[in-house]
Amino acid sequence: MNPAAGARIVVRAQSVNKTVPTAEGSLTILDGVNLAITAGETVAVVGASGSGKTTLLGILAGLDLPSDGRVWLEDAELTALDEEQRALVRGRFVGFVFQSFQLLDSLTAIENVMLPAELRGDASAAADARALLEQVGLGARTHHYPRQLSGGEQQRVAIARAFASRPSVLFADEPTGNLDTTTGERIIDLLFELNRSFATTLILVTHDERLATRCDRRITISVGRIVP
Amino acid sequence: MKPRLVWRMALRDWRAGELLLLVIALVIAVGTVTAISLFVDRLHQALLSESAHMLAADRYITSSDPLPPAFTEQARNRGITTSDVMVFPSMVFAGEDRNQLVSVKAVTTGYPLRGKLIVGSSPFQRGAPTTELPVQGEVWLDSRLFPALGIQIGDTVEVGMKALAVTRVLVAEPDRGGSFFDMGPRLLMHLDDVPATEVVQPGSRLNYRLLMAGPDAALDALKDELELAAGHRWVGIRDASPRIGNALDRAESFLLLGGLLGVLLAGVAVALSAHRYARRHYDHVGVLKTLGATPAAIARGYLGLLLLVGAFAIAIGLIAGGLLHFGIVSALGALITVELPAPGIRPLFVGALTGLVCALAFALPPLIHLRNISPMRVIRRDLGGTEISQWITYGAAIAGSLGLLIWYTQSVMLTLWTLLGSVGVLLVFGALALGLLRGSRLLGMQAASLWRLALSGLQRRRRENIAQILIFGLAIMLLAVLTLLRTALLDDWRAQIPPDTPNHFVMNILPEEAATIDSMIDTVSTRRGGTYPIVRGRVTAHNDRLATEVDEARKGSTDEQGTRLGSERNLTWSDSMPEDNEMIEGDWWPADEKANLVSLEVDYAREFGISVGDTLRFDIAGSEVTAQVASLRKLDWESMKPNFFLIFSPPVLSEYPATYMTSFHLDGDNKIFLNALLSKYPTVTVLEIDAVIEQVQRIVDRVTQAVELILALVLASGCLVLLASIQASRDSRQAEHALLRAIGGTQRLIRGALTIEFAVLGGMAGFVAAAGAETTVAILHYQVFDLPVTLHPLLWLAAPLTGALIIGSVGLAGTSKLVSTPPMQVLRG
Repeated sequence: MNPAAGARIVVRAQSVNKTVPTAEGSLTILDGVNLAITAGETVAVVGASGSGKTTLLGILAGLDLPSDGRVWLEDAELTALDEEQRALVRGRFVGFVFQSFQLLDSLTAIENVMLPAELRGDASAAADARALLEQVGLGARTHHYPRQLSGGEQQRVAIARAFASRPSVLFADEPTGNLDTTTGERIIDLLFELNRSFATTLILVTHDERLATRCDRRITISVGRIVP
Repeated sequence: MKPRLVWRMALRDWRAGELLLLVIALVIAVGTVTAISLFVDRLHQALLSESAHMLAADRYITSSDPLPPAFTEQARNRGITTSDVMVFPSMVFAGEDRNQLVSVKAVTTGYPLRGKLIVGSSPFQRGAPTTELPVQGEVWLDSRLFPALGIQIGDTVEVGMKALAVTRVLVAEPDRGGSFFDMGPRLLMHLDDVPATEVVQPGSRLNYRLLMAGPDAALDALKDELELAAGHRWVGIRDASPRIGNALDRAESFLLLGGLLGVLLAGVAVALSAHRYARRHYDHVGVLKTLGATPAAIARGYLGLLLLVGAFAIAIGLIAGGLLHFGIVSALGALITVELPAPGIRPLFVGALTGLVCALAFALPPLIHLRNISPMRVIRRDLGGTEISQWITYGAAIAGSLGLLIWYTQSVMLTLWTLLGSVGVLLVFGALALGLLRGSRLLGMQAASLWRLALSGLQRRRRENIAQILIFGLAIMLLAVLTLLRTALLDDWRAQIPPDTPNHFVMNILPEEAATIDSMIDTVSTRRGGTYPIVRGRVTAHNDRLATEVDEARKGSTDEQGTRLGSERNLTWSDSMPEDNEMIEGDWWPADEKANLVSLEVDYAREFGISVGDTLRFDIAGSEVTAQVASLRKLDWESMKPNFFLIFSPPVLSEYPATYMTSFHLDGDNKIFLNALLSKYPTVTVLEIDAVIEQVQRIVDRVTQAVELILALVLASGCLVLLASIQASRDSRQAEHALLRAIGGTQRLIRGALTIEFAVLGGMAGFVAAAGAETTVAILHYQVFDLPVTLHPLLWLAAPLTGALIIGSVGLAGTSKLVSTPPMQVLRG
């Protein structure tokens, strides 16, 4: 599948390989991956456990570097940047939602949501964060700590935090993986709703068939390669 | 990261209890050092001032010629108090037929600048301190001059041309110590009376002193400023009394060693807490990085956080240290009889800087390492936990320790040996610990389930356990080193001055009096030293070189007060070597030796380049005697027994008129005996050095108190390290216990396994500690404290047992909450 002609490409991978050294020699995790994702697209990366989909997500988001190949995010070539510069790119363009929520235990819900703006030194962090928490339905729980919230509520805080930086691309790693079916569905609704209203490009890794079908495009990975 | 964010991060972590351990460790580091430093500083000042009493001043300048008045002026300009003193030997006359050689001390207002004169109203009684001095026309006399001169208080004596009234008995003066051969009974008079006596003539043996008291800095500056001529000698406590100087040096070394061991232990605790804090922040940093925090921002942020936390901990630590030190002072109030001077500002500065260095050297490396955490960690937990480079961790810790140690001790030697010992021991400990753990795995495989669980626990966390054996081992080692050194030093000090040390010397005994005086002494003293004949004489030539040539040639290299080959000396002879002497070179002569032989003190011989086999020519009572050097001996100058540079074989001197000397121990209660002795034999001279010994013993006692106190403080720091390192393994243990209990392990099983695990760990740590302590103590004994090297078999049993006991109980206490936490709570996270 190719991106629509003429649309702006926000994420692009070219001949991406990833190998890691193991005791038995070098192990190939990604093998010659090429892809391009356009602005506003919603893409599901699917595949069996160990197929390399999470590794691909990390490389596309600039969390990790490929062994070979080039990766672009917006107008930055991630593979040509050092970690310092990649962090700045992430802060500017990227939002994340994780399977294990990854909220900071020592911070309240609103403090977690404020983090991205605080890192940038944004003065209106608190007001924006409160508004976002209202939007995800947690207006009454802004000062609760993560351990005082249910799994679904924690993921909603994580989603609010992901959108707090007004990202152009949102990466999600199994966002419903730790949630029951009903809660999972609500989270999916919320994610797509916000994605639409913020006009974000969404790239998610999932096992959840229902989640994958709601995306515009599906990229299947098998043994480190994209299945055509 | 913005300062505001760092501030909030610190606040949040503090609220969440994440920083508590780090802050406690830093507070303990700062508090311990501040308390030790404050206490040591004050005690040290007190010890110094007490020692200064032995000079009657902080420093003095001495010369055989009058000192330039400009010296006094320059000293006063620097705010230094001064007082002039003259000391000279003279004959004192009472009536027609009674006279005695005395050591006159002529003093003026202000004397003594340090310490007090003790005076009485009748001889041989304990007196009372006074601030008065003899006024013009008066003298105060030593007790033993009263029977010798047959006088009483109120009588008149003559010194030279001047008649002076005897108004008091001089019981003690602070600066009475010194070479006892030069010391006659004392006559104290006013300096302004000296001209009228007319005893000061060209060629008189005179000693002028300018006593000075004031702040160290001013005195040091004055020393640099004054243009001291060759004949002027600047004297401080170490120059005046090498014995006290040695005790003080050792005390200082020991107190500082105690202090720096405390710092090292606290540093280890700080490092452990910081590592744990950093490990718990891996996820935190991973998330911050995905949200756009750059590595530089992370490093800056955590540095800021550490400085913030450090400043907080330092403030609390200084307060805690101050309070602790007041607690110590009041707890020991009954023991510390010296008045402690007010604490200075320096100990607080020492504490604060220690806190900062501890934070930067021990805590910063793991925190800065957080910048390297991979953001991928947020989706792949197994990533990003890369261990920080050992070079950085240990390098920083060693550099920090080195800096602190050198700063505290001002002694590169002491620092290097302590550090070399620690580093060497760490390397050896690592290898030893690995071997022990491997051995335990083999044992564990054949053991019952409880032991297997415990030993596999040790095996599973092998890396951490090696580190813990290193840390525990080091802590126990430091404690063992301190205990062993303390015991060795105290024994050494006590042994130097046993309670029955001779404290009185009797000289000028005529040959026919010797036997009766000996038996008279035996009625009051169970401990009488040997009786030695004394003949005065001097060396006139060494081989073919005249003594005057030798001394002339040496003039440039030594000052006028230095030893001269041609000086008149006390010579003795003996058929056997004195018991405290040690033969260095050559052999002692047989009892029936017929040849003219002489045995020399080794340092004296080396000073003048005299070797065994050389020939020395002497002038004894006007006739010339030649003797061959047969041996070199080492003397124990601290033994307080008669010591001789030169001892002859019996035939050489036996024809010359000799007087005898002996020494004995006399209790304070029997002092009246001296009255009887001197009344019966008025021509003998008695030297009372019991006051000097008492002073030395008092100083040693003070030092002992300080050492014991510091040992207690270091022990406390050691226990904190144990707790901190148990805390460091808390998280992984909690998960393991939950899992074990989930699959059916009882609390009892886990507790039993933990007991064994910690006890075995402690035993191993104790074993390596014993090895390390034995080595370090041997090196320190040999290099720093100049004590003989001995082995300590008991240590090899005590250290592992102590390790097992302390780590076992502290470990169980530290993990008790982990065992009782319901497994569900842990598994749910």
